[in-house]
Formats: sequence, C-alpha cells, structure tokens
Amino acid sequence: VGDRLLAIARKETRQLLRDPVYLGLAFVVPLMLLVLLGYQLSLDVKGLLVAVIDRDRSAWSRQYVDGFVNSEYFTLVARLDSEAEAREWIRSGRARVVLDIPPDFGRRLSASETVAVGITVDGSYPSRGQIALGYVEAVSALHNEQLLRAWLVEQGRRSGQVVPVQMDMSVWYNPTLESKNFVVPGMLVIVMMIFPPLLSALLIVRERENGTILNLYCSPASRWDILAGKALPYVAVSFIDFLVIFGASVWLFQLRFVGNAWLLSAAALLYSVCTIGLGLVISALSRSQLAAMLATFLIAVAPAFTFSGIFAPIASQDAVGRFVARLIPATYFMDVVRGAYLKGGEAGAYAPDLAALGVYAAVVYGVAWLALRKRVG
Amino acid sequence: MRRRLLALIRKEFSQLFRDVPMLLFLVWAFTGAVYTSGHGGGTELRQYPIVVLDLSQGPSSRELVSRFRAPYFKLVAQVWSDDEVVSRLDRGEASLAVVIPPDFERRAQEATARFQVISDGSQSMSATLAAAHIRSIAYRYSVERLVALPGFTGRGIPRIDTRPRVEYNPNLVETWFSSLLEVFTQTTMIAMLLAAAAMVREREHGTVEHLLVSPLRPLELFAAKLVPVVTLVPLAALTSVLGVVHGAFETPIRGSVALFYAVTLIYVFAMASLGLAIAALARTLGQAMMLLLLIFYPMTLLSGAFSPPESQGTLMRTVGVLSPVRHYVDFAYQVLFKGNGLAYVWQDVLGILGLGVALFAISVHRFARLVR
Repeated sequence: VGDRLLAIARKETRQLLRDPVYLGLAFVVPLMLLVLLGYQLSLDVKGLLVAVIDRDRSAWSRQYVDGFVNSEYFTLVARLDSEAEAREWIRSGRARVVLDIPPDFGRRLSASETVAVGITVDGSYPSRGQIALGYVEAVSALHNEQLLRAWLVEQGRRSGQVVPVQMDMSVWYNPTLESKNFVVPGMLVIVMMIFPPLLSALLIVRERENGTILNLYCSPASRWDILAGKALPYVAVSFIDFLVIFGASVWLFQLRFVGNAWLLSAAALLYSVCTIGLGLVISALSRSQLAAMLATFLIAVAPAFTFSGIFAPIASQDAVGRFVARLIPATYFMDVVRGAYLKGGEAGAYAPDLAALGVYAAVVYGVAWLALRKRVG
Repeated sequence: MRRRLLALIRKEFSQLFRDVPMLLFLVWAFTGAVYTSGHGGGTELRQYPIVVLDLSQGPSSRELVSRFRAPYFKLVAQVWSDDEVVSRLDRGEASLAVVIPPDFERRAQEATARFQVISDGSQSMSATLAAAHIRSIAYRYSVERLVALPGFTGRGIPRIDTRPRVEYNPNLVETWFSSLLEVFTQTTMIAMLLAAAAMVREREHGTVEHLLVSPLRPLELFAAKLVPVVTLVPLAALTSVLGVVHGAFETPIRGSVALFYAVTLIYVFAMASLGLAIAALARTLGQAMMLLLLIFYPMTLLSGAFSPPESQGTLMRTVGVLSPVRHYVDFAYQVLFKGNGLAYVWQDVLGILGLGVALFAISVHRFARLVR
C-alpha cells in the first residue's frame, strides 16, 4: 500500500520539479512580500495631517500647538481662520484633524479655569479617527501636566504632588512598539496560508481538466493513497518555504526571536499539513482551475488576513468575528508564531494550539476523502 | 469585423457562465465574504482585554479600576499574583495588565500614588492606543483627586478639556468601513483574476494559436477578454454596496451612486488590464495567481486603507501613486461616505483612467511581442 502512495508522491515531485519557474515563484514571491513589508511598509500611524484654527493667538495657544508640531504623530499642515474652512479641509482629505482653539484660551488658563478645545476628526476611516483622537488626548494630557506643574509651583506646593496618581508603563515583547516586529512574523502565517494552498488547490482539478483524473480513478490506489501521495511533496515544499522565511526573518531582518525554534518548526509542519489539506478539499470540489483559485482566495487567504488577529487582539472582534477566528488554523498558528518570536514562555502553553491544528488537519483530510469519493461514483 | 468581435465576446461570456461553482464563489465574494468581514477586527481599541492585579484593595484603587471599562477595555480577570499576570500575558489572554501596589491607598492620600501598566507590545498599534487611553484615564482621575485635596476650596486649576466631534461616522463604526473595504478588495482581486484566467486558459490549452491565426487583431482580442469582466464585476460591486454594506449594515451612502458606478467601471477596466499584463508573463494559472498576489498584497496594504499615506516613507508614497487601488480607495470613501462630487475626486479619477489606459497598452504590447 505504501508503494502506491510513494509512487504518486514521486510523480507529483517530478511534475513539480519540471516547472522550475512555478516552484521558484513559490519561494521567491513570499520572500519578496516579506522584504517589502519588513523594510518599507509601516503600519504605524504617524505624521497625521492636522490643521489649527487659533482664535487666541497668544503665547498660551502657541505653546499648546507646539505640542502637536513637536510630536511625531502629527504634521501641522495649515492654520485656518473659520470653521467653514476647517470643514472643507476635512472634507477634501487635506487634514484629518482640526483643532479649534477659542479666543479666550489664554485668558481662561491664566485665570486657572478649564477651557474647551474643539477637536474635529475625519471619521471616514474609523480606526484612524480613533487613533487621531487618542493622540490628541495624549498630547493634551501632556500639556495639562505642564500647566499643572507650573501652577502648583506658583501656589507654592510640592511638585511631587503634580499628578496624585501616576502611571508607570512598561512594554513587554516589543518594547520599541514597531509594527515590523509583529507584521513580519504575522505575514509568515499569512504567506503560508497563501502559497501552499494555491499550489495544492490545483492538484486534483488540473487532472480533472486534463482528463488524467480517470487514470487515478481506475488505478488500484486508494483515496487515502491519492490524497497523501499528492499532499506529501507539497507539505515538504511548504515546510521548506517556512524554513526560508524563518531564516530570512531572523538573520536578514534581525528580528527578535526568543522562543523555541523546534516548537515553532513542529507547529509550522502541522500548519503546512492543514493548509495543503485545505487546498486539496478545494481542489476536489472544484470543476475548473479558476474556481479553485477563487475559492482559495475566499476560503483560505482572505479569512486568515481578516480574522487571525494579525493587527489587533482577537478579543477586539465581535462574536461573529471571534467565531470565525476560532474556525481557521491561522489563528492558532499565529498564536504560536507570535509566542515564538516575541514572547518565549514554556512549550506547554502552546499545546492547545497544536491540538487545534491537529483536529483541523483531521477534519480537512476527512472532508477531502469524502469529496474525492463523490466524484468516483 | 463587428460580428467577429461579438462572437468572441459571446464565447467569453458562455465560458464564464458554464462554470457554476465558480459563479457561486463569485456570489459569495460579494455577499457572504463582505458580510463576515464586517465583523473582523479593525485596529481600533475595542474590548481590549486587560487583567488587574490589585494588591491595595482600597476605595481609591477600586475607583481607578472601575474606569477601565467598555467599550475600550474588557476586564478579563482579577488576578492575585505576579505569576498569573505573566502567564495571562504570555498566553495572550490579556493584552495589558494593571498592577496596583499595596501602598496605593496610603500614597493616594498623600497624592504620590503610582501604579504600573504592563502592555503587550506585540500588536503595536492597539498597544499604543491602549497606553494613550490609560494615560488619560489616570490623568483625569488625578485631577479629580487633586481638586478634592484640602486646600483646593472652590478654585479651579488650569486645564484643557478636549471636545471631540467626529465627522461622517460619529460613533466610529468600524463595520461601515471594513465591509466597504472588502467590496473593494473583492472587486480588485476578481477583476484581475478573471481577466488573467481568460488569457492563461487559452495559453494552457494551446488555443492561443487559433486566435492568432484568426483575423482578429490583438486589440480586439483583448477587448473581448475584458468585456465580460467589466460588465459583471462593477455590477456585482454595486449590488454589494447597496445590498450588504447599505442594506445589512445600514451604512449611510451620502454620495452619487451613479458616479461610484461609473468610476468603478473604469477601475475594473484598469485592474483587468493589469490581470492581462500578468497573464502575458505566466504560462499557467498557478503562476499567474502567484504573480497576482505578489502585486495584490502590497497594493492593498499601501492603498491608504490600513495606514494613511502620510505615514509612509517617500519611496512607498511614490509607489503608492502608481497603484490604481490607492486612487480608487480614496475616491470611493470620499464619494460614498463624504458625499463628495467630481470637484473633489477628479484627480483620483484621472489617475485611475490614466493607469488603466497605460496598463491596457502594456498588456497589448506585451502580447503582441509574444506573438512574434
């Protein structure tokens, strides 16, 4: 029985090696994506375009605006005169935030009063709007602290009491808070969900399009022989893909890696089995290569990108989102990958993730097995 | 000549409609996929999972902790040891820990209290946001304590109070944005894939030669490949915007739907031309798909939907201008969300049109070279 499986695997390997362009793309394309994302593309929101209506034009208001000018999170693009003008700047996208400083700004502050500053934010990109509000809040809080400090000194109080409740912040796992440190490992998860399933999604449907599938149906090879024989070489390709990306991320990008490389490799192998299996299911159910490609994009690639928690914690998704997240293997592998690159920790903590990947693999190959039979009958 | 072209177009249509599973996937792409992606997480701060280790257990610390609340934060658990804090963060069950020392209550009376925040920086965007929020919560709490201290009778302290107003999406509903983004993503991907597949299929089956010896010119051949894509995809996108984005998620559509549809036609033409240009490089559909994705992901991530163009370096900003996706995303959100007309978006429209014509010319040229 093993002979038949191996024979099919040997045939698939030979076919794979006969198209070096294709095979080369399978390695080069993921690597290029990583280089691009790792080096050039920053997902950190910085330099937001801010405009100011300064109706006060005093030293007080200038100091406040300077807080924005000196922050890397904002770029001051204009000083405006009216609210109508501000609306226009937001509407045309020339400014994302407009500060409206009232005429009595300096007078009120010097009289130890509270003064309201209007903040208008473009909400058409909601995440960005919220980030902008958060940054405005932070710059204002910093400025308030300075005001308070000066005022307390004036009152002859201890400066230690400036802020009665102070926060000390420490950032773990990614102390410099750079998106690169998690986007590159995150893209490893996504990339391994793109290219291996794409390769395997064509395996059965191509034979069907070419008519060679009948040879397999007539052969004494069992469905299991066919599936495993086709999967084996591609799981190997996917795993080598992983090794290349892993190596590049650690040696080329000099990314932080604190975890256990063996554990990560084991998870990557299991993940490869899952992704190749998912491709096989799609392949067994499709009638054309085009349909298989489209299905791979819709069922494998896009959900991994949207739901696996690459950009924000899964807890931030709503009930439907969390449900979908739990259904896809990328979520579990993402957990292991992020842990291995950034967190470390004991291997036992990742057992549930590995178990989930194992269950997923079993289900996927089971479905592929069933789907293959339907076509024989 | 007209009849020849029509015959070819008819053939392309029937080839498309024969593939029922593929059509079902197309329907899913513009309905189910858009609907589910509306539920995916954005990078905004929502239900950010935190744990609290409160060693003080006094009224002050409880008051502080009670302020970390929905919709921004979600208290996953109260824990009782440092080890538990570490393990919750390690396992990703919480993304932020608030640690309040035993002497918090006493020092709060003296106005010198401190507490510690440990943040999981592995998702740097939401971590930055969470830190900013906690800082301002602590600050507001401080001010209240300060005012309540003896010696602050009746007098205020100098303070700036921000009054935010959000335009176009007052409650910052992420679903409006993300469901629409998914429509654009599907439009982009499917326009490229369908066009590329139509061309690669001929190459794989060796029927390109048949077409070459036919009296059709390459320009006509390409037009025939594009017509079904440009007919179907913008219609699907429009249906999805009106049916799912507006219908199911009640996203307000403020602008001209006709303008959106017209420019979507041009956009699909541009992306389908890009698909054809890629098809000229690929021998098999697998190869074509890989090249497509190599272009697709950087274009999507650079489109301005994930981070604003001003946050990118000069190189990426320049490259971004060459991407039709970038212009289209800007155009579509402006028209649909802000109700802007041509006066605001003409540059984007020109960009899409120019890139579309250029891409079409490149693909025809490449194919013509292939023939010789």
